[in-house]
Amino acid sequence: MSEEKALAAEVRGVTKAYGPIVALSDVSFRLRLGEIHALVGHNGAGKSTFVKVLSGVVSPDQGEVLVYGQPVAFKTPRQAQAAGIAVVEQELSLVPALTVLDNILLGRVDPFGGQTRSAFLAGVQDLLAQLGLRDVRLSTVVEDLTMAERQLVEIARALSRDARILILDEPTATLGESEIERVFAGVRKLADKGCSVIFVSHRLGEVLDLCSQVTVFRDGRMIASHPAAEMTRAGIVELMLGKVSEKAESAMREGARRDGLVDIDGLTVPGQIKDFSLKANGGEIIAIAGQVGSGASEVLRALGGLIPQARGRVTIAGQPMRLGGPQRSARAGVVFASNDRKGEGLFLQQSVARNLLAVRLKAVSRFGFVSGAKAATLARRLAGLIGFDEKRLGAAVLTLSGGNQQKVFLGRCIERQGTQLLLFDEPTRGVDVGGRADIHNLVRHAASTGNCVIFVSSELDEILDLAHTVVTVFAGRITRIGRRREMTAAGILAEITSGSAAGAAP
Amino acid sequence: MSETISSAASRVALRASGKPKPATFAMYVFVGLVAALVIVGAFTTQGFLTAGNFRAIITSAAFVGIMAVGATLIMLGGSLFSISLGLTTALTSIIFMYALSLGIVPAMLAALLAGTLIFMVQGAIIGAIGANPIIVTIGAGAIQDGLIGWISPGDVVPPPGVDIDFLARTYFNLPVSVYVFIAVAIVTDLRVRRSQFGRELYMLGENPRAARAAGLPVERLTITAFAVSGCCVAIAAILIAGFAKNVNLQVQGTYTFDVIAAILVGGNAVTGGRGSVGRTVVGALVIATISDILLLLGASTGMQTLVKGLIVLVVVVLLHLTQREGRAS
Repeated sequence: MSEEKALAAEVRGVTKAYGPIVALSDVSFRLRLGEIHALVGHNGAGKSTFVKVLSGVVSPDQGEVLVYGQPVAFKTPRQAQAAGIAVVEQELSLVPALTVLDNILLGRVDPFGGQTRSAFLAGVQDLLAQLGLRDVRLSTVVEDLTMAERQLVEIARALSRDARILILDEPTATLGESEIERVFAGVRKLADKGCSVIFVSHRLGEVLDLCSQVTVFRDGRMIASHPAAEMTRAGIVELMLGKVSEKAESAMREGARRDGLVDIDGLTVPGQIKDFSLKANGGEIIAIAGQVGSGASEVLRALGGLIPQARGRVTIAGQPMRLGGPQRSARAGVVFASNDRKGEGLFLQQSVARNLLAVRLKAVSRFGFVSGAKAATLARRLAGLIGFDEKRLGAAVLTLSGGNQQKVFLGRCIERQGTQLLLFDEPTRGVDVGGRADIHNLVRHAASTGNCVIFVSSELDEILDLAHTVVTVFAGRITRIGRRREMTAAGILAEITSGSAAGAAP
Repeated sequence: MSETISSAASRVALRASGKPKPATFAMYVFVGLVAALVIVGAFTTQGFLTAGNFRAIITSAAFVGIMAVGATLIMLGGSLFSISLGLTTALTSIIFMYALSLGIVPAMLAALLAGTLIFMVQGAIIGAIGANPIIVTIGAGAIQDGLIGWISPGDVVPPPGVDIDFLARTYFNLPVSVYVFIAVAIVTDLRVRRSQFGRELYMLGENPRAARAAGLPVERLTITAFAVSGCCVAIAAILIAGFAKNVNLQVQGTYTFDVIAAILVGGNAVTGGRGSVGRTVVGALVIATISDILLLLGASTGMQTLVKGLIVLVVVVLLHLTQREGRAS
């Protein structure tokens, strides 16, 4: 009985399915008063759906949620907010051009919560002080704050709405070492005052450092929940992975091998990537494994010329390539496929054929004019390669399924004259199982023609299936480069979550 | 301050919830209505159904049409339009008149070069640094306005002894400008639909981020679109000079608006990526037809401008709503 009282929130047997996909399956979870409770799990484990259930963004299909012992059924995030639950997202929602106070007031129905202005302001000042932001004034423009300070202001904003249960979703992904300490200090103070915190993170080192209880999700289920003192990093990694069969290296032959095709030396993007160096051969498939915010995506974006601040020496097929211009990268034979196929990839209103030919019109043109016959022949050939029905080449890409869109997107990149290096960022994002196999074959095909392929994936299966070489990154640094046969799923996961080897790049 | 914030929030909420489903329907109704009005107007208006009047319509569509066809490229590429198009028309026609003292061919080359360059510079600023096209072209307009005032405060007429009548002559009952309009439309249409440049322009207009990530030459595409448009403006300006015989600042007339109206009424997407030269030609003819009916009915120029403005506004609103419906469904 007394234990019941000490619970800030309890979830009992919650199930949530999106169509045929079960995101949460009979999940139970207990959050004690004043506790900092870690929620960990690999991609697709159900963490974000769980956070959405608690914060009223989605309603569970089954099961119940209790807050301070009272059953609740949130229909909207606002109701969850009223019950004292606040979520601080990984992507900060502060408006940079407004002051700290404006940001705290933003979106409040009743600006001062029935208090006088001065009483409210004093309360907010007090909150900031509690979070260790004594020197931040309410009139400071958010732009002028450091990332850690912004994160803390975001937390203060949640607390100013009388949040007693705080969910922090990957709050440290973009912070540096010392900044993380500041945020942690603030969070610890809150817990001391009786606020309960759910800390969602990929970074197991931090989890063990900060939290008193650790709950592990896997495949939509709650797998284990233990006091942090009883857990080790290796133990958590094992729980996150379950009994993933450690596959033997699948029959992968490197294609026409061209030694030293790509040489990346000291690639650096301020605040995102530190000194990334890698030598890669034609015919080789290289995976960069890293969690969101680790800098893995940024490596590809920088090589694609999309990050103006990127520095470093890159040589492709013996020719130095200047960074910072997508056209320069394209001329050097680099083809980049973004992880955002709709926003930064496909031309949705145009036909499949036009999308397939988007970056190789020159090959089917004479005197600047596109030859209809040549274009049609090439489009049919590419359709055959990606396993796409050539009768539908005239359909707008908009009308295709996600899997087919992704095939068209990657099909656009392959077999292009002059290509040396292909960069695929999350090549199977939002693609079903059948489509994934096709896309993996496409990636292998691209390498078999003598190109080098570098891809980023947060899915271990994909990395183990496809890669000849695996590069693990944590907090913007390479932690390990190894041949596929030297790597295990657990080994990769440990590298990309712990950061133990940070700074120990080979 | 907090009040403004909450009212802004409620506006956002309103926009998110109130999706007018029947906008596509309204679009069809509107198009039908305009078509019906034109037909009714055609049969009830004295003098509409005469060969002479059709010639008048296509003749009056020609100047606007030539410029609108060129400006379609700018809109397809996602850079809206040039607000100073009318001023460039006036300036290039003045340059043409002045340069006539060097001979007709040099004068034409000078005008074409000037029009192309004036637009290219604007395209370069917009394409290279991603500047807002409205601001850039307004600024360019002020410069051209000043330039006109500086080089020719009054009317400019052809130098004595130079005959430019051939620019306004009629062949087979139609003036030269109509043939030029047809030629410009066909050439530009082919280029837009068939060339590598045209294909890439559509991609840039539809999704500039994707075009950039794919390594397409986004700056060059924008500059080329502006250059072609400027060249078309100069072509029209030469014909207008031949037609008017004396030119000044007033040559700009309502060309800027008429060109934008023709493109929009034709149904080209303001945001770029969708549309065609054919649509613009239809738009130019529709605007010319409506002006013609109003003229025959004895409406003032004020009334004509007012009606054109109304039509453009309605088309823009309806296009916006239908596109939103398209995205929502």
